[in-house]
Amino acid sequence: MTIRNRLKYLSPAWRRREERDMREELESLTAIAGSGELGNLTLAMEDVRATWGWTWLESIFADIRYSLRAQRRQPAFAAVAVLSLALAIGANSAIFSFADALLLRPLPVANPTAVFDVTSTTPDNPFEGMSFPDYRDLRDKSRSFSGLAAYRLTTLAAAANPAAPAQMRFAALVSDNYFPVVGVTPSAGRAFLPDETAQPVAMVSYDFWQQNYAGSQSAIGSALRLNGIVFTIVGVTPASFTGLDRFAYPSIFVPLGMSQRLNGAPADPLEDRGRHDLVVKGRLSAGASKESAHAELAIIGAALAREYPKSNRNRHMSVRTELQRRIQQSPQLLALAKMLMGLVALILIIACSNVANLLLARARARSREIAIRLSIGAGRSRVVRQLMTESLIVALAGGAAGLFVAYGGIALLDMQSVPSDPPFVLGVQLDWRVVEFSLLAALASCIFFGLAPAWQAARTDFVSALKAGGGGASGKRRTFGRDVLVAGQIALAMVVLIAAGMFLAGFRNLLVMPPEFRTDHLISLDTAPALVHYSPEQTMAFYRRLVDRVRTLAGVAGVAMTESLPLSPSQTAVNVAPEGYQFPKGREKEIEFGAAVDAAYFRTLHVEIKRGRAFTDDDRAGSRRVAIVNQQFVKTYWPGQDPIGKRVRVESMDGMGGPAAEVVGVAKTGHYLAVNEAPAPYVYVPYEQNPRSRMTLIVESVGDAGALAKPLRDAVRSIDGNMPVFNLRPVAALYESRVTDTWLNCFQMVGTMGFIGLALATTGLYGLVAYTVSRRVKEFGIRVAVGATRRDVVWLVERRGLILAGVGIAIGAALTAAATPMLAASFPGLGVSSPAVYALIPLVLLMVSAVASYVPARRAAGLDPLRALRNE
Amino acid sequence: MDLLQGTLDMLVLRTLLAGSLHGYGIAKTIRSTSNEALDIEFGSLYPALKRLEAKGWIASGWETSEHNRRAKYYRLTAAGRKHLVREHSKWADFVSAVGRIMGTLPEARG
Repeated sequence: MTIRNRLKYLSPAWRRREERDMREELESLTAIAGSGELGNLTLAMEDVRATWGWTWLESIFADIRYSLRAQRRQPAFAAVAVLSLALAIGANSAIFSFADALLLRPLPVANPTAVFDVTSTTPDNPFEGMSFPDYRDLRDKSRSFSGLAAYRLTTLAAAANPAAPAQMRFAALVSDNYFPVVGVTPSAGRAFLPDETAQPVAMVSYDFWQQNYAGSQSAIGSALRLNGIVFTIVGVTPASFTGLDRFAYPSIFVPLGMSQRLNGAPADPLEDRGRHDLVVKGRLSAGASKESAHAELAIIGAALAREYPKSNRNRHMSVRTELQRRIQQSPQLLALAKMLMGLVALILIIACSNVANLLLARARARSREIAIRLSIGAGRSRVVRQLMTESLIVALAGGAAGLFVAYGGIALLDMQSVPSDPPFVLGVQLDWRVVEFSLLAALASCIFFGLAPAWQAARTDFVSALKAGGGGASGKRRTFGRDVLVAGQIALAMVVLIAAGMFLAGFRNLLVMPPEFRTDHLISLDTAPALVHYSPEQTMAFYRRLVDRVRTLAGVAGVAMTESLPLSPSQTAVNVAPEGYQFPKGREKEIEFGAAVDAAYFRTLHVEIKRGRAFTDDDRAGSRRVAIVNQQFVKTYWPGQDPIGKRVRVESMDGMGGPAAEVVGVAKTGHYLAVNEAPAPYVYVPYEQNPRSRMTLIVESVGDAGALAKPLRDAVRSIDGNMPVFNLRPVAALYESRVTDTWLNCFQMVGTMGFIGLALATTGLYGLVAYTVSRRVKEFGIRVAVGATRRDVVWLVERRGLILAGVGIAIGAALTAAATPMLAASFPGLGVSSPAVYALIPLVLLMVSAVASYVPARRAAGLDPLRALRNE
Repeated sequence: MDLLQGTLDMLVLRTLLAGSLHGYGIAKTIRSTSNEALDIEFGSLYPALKRLEAKGWIASGWETSEHNRRAKYYRLTAAGRKHLVREHSKWADFVSAVGRIMGTLPEARG
């Protein structure tokens, strides 16, 4: 039969015509042959219709119609089932999107699986990166890659219009082959030419193009001032390309050869083999593998180490996948993603068993209907298919509703941001992989919970089912499987709740944990003299003038300067070599956080000096070099010794520093990068002895700190109108966003999951108890008739719910005992096991279970014995 | 007498070789030609007609019968004729093969 014919059968008009024709023909034949002679014509016509094909399709439509009708008859069942799935699938999709944004999303490049990260590390230095000379040598010597591209992410002061103040933007300084290697073609204009490695040409991102040029073609060829240098825009990157870093999306791309001029550096940073600040990505050539590339780079790296021992001794080249790189850079994110995904997986299991339970209960209640259908000749496979169709509809509706939940969740998650200028973006978005994941989850759960009830129902012995009229055999044996499901749900809900409780406990610890520095009445701002090409002398003079000017402003109580504000996203690392410390073999310095601060810093931020003294104005360029360390530094490097008078060499990461300094004070250990970090060593050096190219100004206000924003901006402008001002915000706002918001978000996520878990498990318990009550109506009627009181009946029902809850809690306790050490290990400072949590959660579960069983119990007790006995 | 699978199609095509007939006529002809041995239920014949028509082996049209009644008449198409020839030789092969095996049964003894 041809396809065309088969399609023809689908047309309702054709079918109507054919139907009419058939009737006429049979009528005429009946007239010829006489009635009765032709036999069962209805059956004959049905057989003809069957040859029109598509009956399987029609019967599926019939199944769907029937299922929808059944669903309408029991809206509560459908609502609970769909809602359970929607919550679970929504939470799963949202968390998957979150994990995707944190870790998993592939690079936005062509064929991302062939692109690998190439970097170099030494045992001394956990910070990774590649120097340009090393990169150039690798590029020339390596055969494993069809292209190796290098870039450095930085911030530039960009002004599309010479009159407008510059905006701070993320920018990527890229090697000439960057765009060909990543496989991105410009959406307007062109990419860089091979002879433009050091020309003032720029490509801008699609967003930047839309914001500043309204997407006009005239932007191509127009001028763009970057750090005061005039660049020509040659092209626009496509909207889908957000750069090669996760949270910082570059707006501007310029040739790497422009580094020296953009930084106003005295020497070309590209010629410095000791400066490891490039990120290198390589596209594997055909036939090469990650392992072969790694082996080749190891050989080249060893040759470089022999040739340039000063900069490359102990330096190892390595090839990693993007995911390995991200995990190595932020292992905490992996732990967070793993835990969240583990928790939502539990929620999905709870939801699936919930729906399975509902379907089982309903299949049982419908055993009479199924028995009738079987007895009038429906095939068992047809009945199973009908039941599968029903669960499929529930699963799909749950999946669709889950997408809406996911949308909401993702919108909430994406509001999370780190306050900085330019802004970091988390970029949580619902993409098609998430949609697929969600649908897959829905379908998998459909098979999971649809098969068992269907199979059980099709096994129904319909004679006894018809006879029993739904009364069925004794409830106990029959609900055993469902008892297990409900107890399991409660156990899993308990694990989820305990995890949430641990987060809450840990979170409370964070809130009550003092920041160890003052946050009120303070406002900070960043400037970047290097961006407007100040010499080191000019920079120092600028900061002196700025501090003097700000001190005279109305409402200012004090001014201090630091290289990096505690808890701001960018912390400065320094190399330290403490006197008398026995370094591990092969190392001669350690990397710690540290900052150059001025004399007013400790006073203004209320950083307590535990021993010795703070810096004074006498600690200046020509005088004895001094340093202050924190308590943790003493614990780590000079345990049990008196640190005052010890000597320590402190140099910035690019090698600036000098002779050893003498420790004159010990400051209280604070929090530097995150409130939940393990206590970290920290070292302070005086700014006047260690000038830096960029400092943060901290201003203490008499009144509201925010009110000083405008006068401060004006003060900077009055000294130099071109000086970019950014990160201007009250210190309290920074503290809150760093401490409260990030963890509050995590806590909200985990808390929401706990709540969803509890709600689902409770629904499951309620459903089971209510079902049991409906099955035992007759029994309760008899009990009441022979003198049982209402309280007896209530207790009878209540007892069952509580036993289930008790068993679930016992299992949950065992599971929790196994899971908590894992949680606590992943999150230092969080997940502190608190006895209150362990005591409270089982109590909450018991109470909720009692309430959930009480509702059907009351109904059971309220039964009129006469009607109950007549009931069947 | 039950029919082998596919045999009904062949019988219908063979019957229509003689000329066009309406549905009931086909049933009657098969019955009388087989000396009442093959009494085909119209309920089975009719879907078979529709199936053959869908395959393009027979075609139908409204005509007026011998008793001046309108009825739908089926006739063999060229494709149907070809198919019948193919089926007929297959059938002949099958019958002779079975015949050689079965032969005549020896006299059953006591």
